[in-house]
Amino acid sequence: MALRGVWQLQKLVVSYCNWGGSSRGIRAFMESELPALKQKNPQLEVVTELSRGQHPYLKGIYRNRNERVVCVKNMDPEEVLLNATRLRNSLGRKVVKRRTRHVTKHPSVQGTWTTAVKF
Amino acid sequence: MASLRCIRELSRRATTVLSINQTRSICYLPAIEVSGTSISHGTVISNRSLTRDLPCDEGEESSEGEDEDDEDYEDSADTEVEREYSPAEKVEEAAEIGYKVMGPLKPSERLFKPYEPVFAIVQIGSHQFKVSNGDSIFTEKLKFCDINDKLVLTKVLLLGSASQTIIGRPILPDATVHAVVEEHALDEKVLIFKKKRRKNYRRTRGHRQELTKLRITDIQGIEKPEPKIVYKPSKEAVTEQSKAELVA
Repeated sequence: MALRGVWQLQKLVVSYCNWGGSSRGIRAFMESELPALKQKNPQLEVVTELSRGQHPYLKGIYRNRNERVVCVKNMDPEEVLLNATRLRNSLGRKVVKRRTRHVTKHPSVQGTWTTAVKF
Repeated sequence: MASLRCIRELSRRATTVLSINQTRSICYLPAIEVSGTSISHGTVISNRSLTRDLPCDEGEESSEGEDEDDEDYEDSADTEVEREYSPAEKVEEAAEIGYKVMGPLKPSERLFKPYEPVFAIVQIGSHQFKVSNGDSIFTEKLKFCDINDKLVLTKVLLLGSASQTIIGRPILPDATVHAVVEEHALDEKVLIFKKKRRKNYRRTRGHRQELTKLRITDIQGIEKPEPKIVYKPSKEAVTEQSKAELVA
């Protein structure tokens, strides 16, 4: 998740509830794995929010002002870590199916072949 | 029959003796001479050859002992089994399967140069791409690299520029292509829909492929043509001086 060396995920909002059972996994994640994640990504601003009575979610805010929200209710801490890592690993672009796996601005170096080209 | 029952009982004991202590000599094994049976194969030492001749019940008992030799698997949230790779294994697997070599993590240096009219055909896994400086490539998820890692793609099949073409047989050993990992992300969901008509059979399944986006930064191994801009030297190995000049 770095476009030309620039990290794209700016802020990660971890929203949880301290009473509800669906937040159990994310509470365990916050105790066990969140500090390690913060340490590995010093460029990332991680914020924990308490929202009582709501299901927990992870919100990633990217440089292109795109927000990706992932609901983590009833998930294990390992799954929450996986989702957080996925948010950190991706660019903020909209996920669209591509026709090719190769993106280039200069498709030809030696000149595009036509039937008139003779070697 | 009584004779068969006797044989089975004795052979069961024989296998339990063997599974407990494999180094014990064969003289402890019962020597059975019954007409028409082949238990005299017990003279062979190995556990497996004995169990091969026996009926399937005995075979199950001995196979349990072999499960201890299997590798320990890590518990992970994924349904796939994840092995722990040692650093040497990682490098080797990366080199063999993905045809890439891990370089160090990216420091605060400028790797991204303007476009040069040079291309290379590079193979990663089973896919081949025609790449040039500044292109992006989506490959299958590369396991051993993180975001902002420098990679060196070692399997280069062809190099080309405006004036020169170098063809590898099948690879060029001296050519290298440098790339930087940009993202590890999931592709868009594709729906797999199966239907058999008039048979009341309909299944829907979703699939998201894990991809890695690489940005190609440099191609080495071929003479690059001189650019029109004066302050950029035209040597193959990109010099630090030009970068410093551009920065300043």
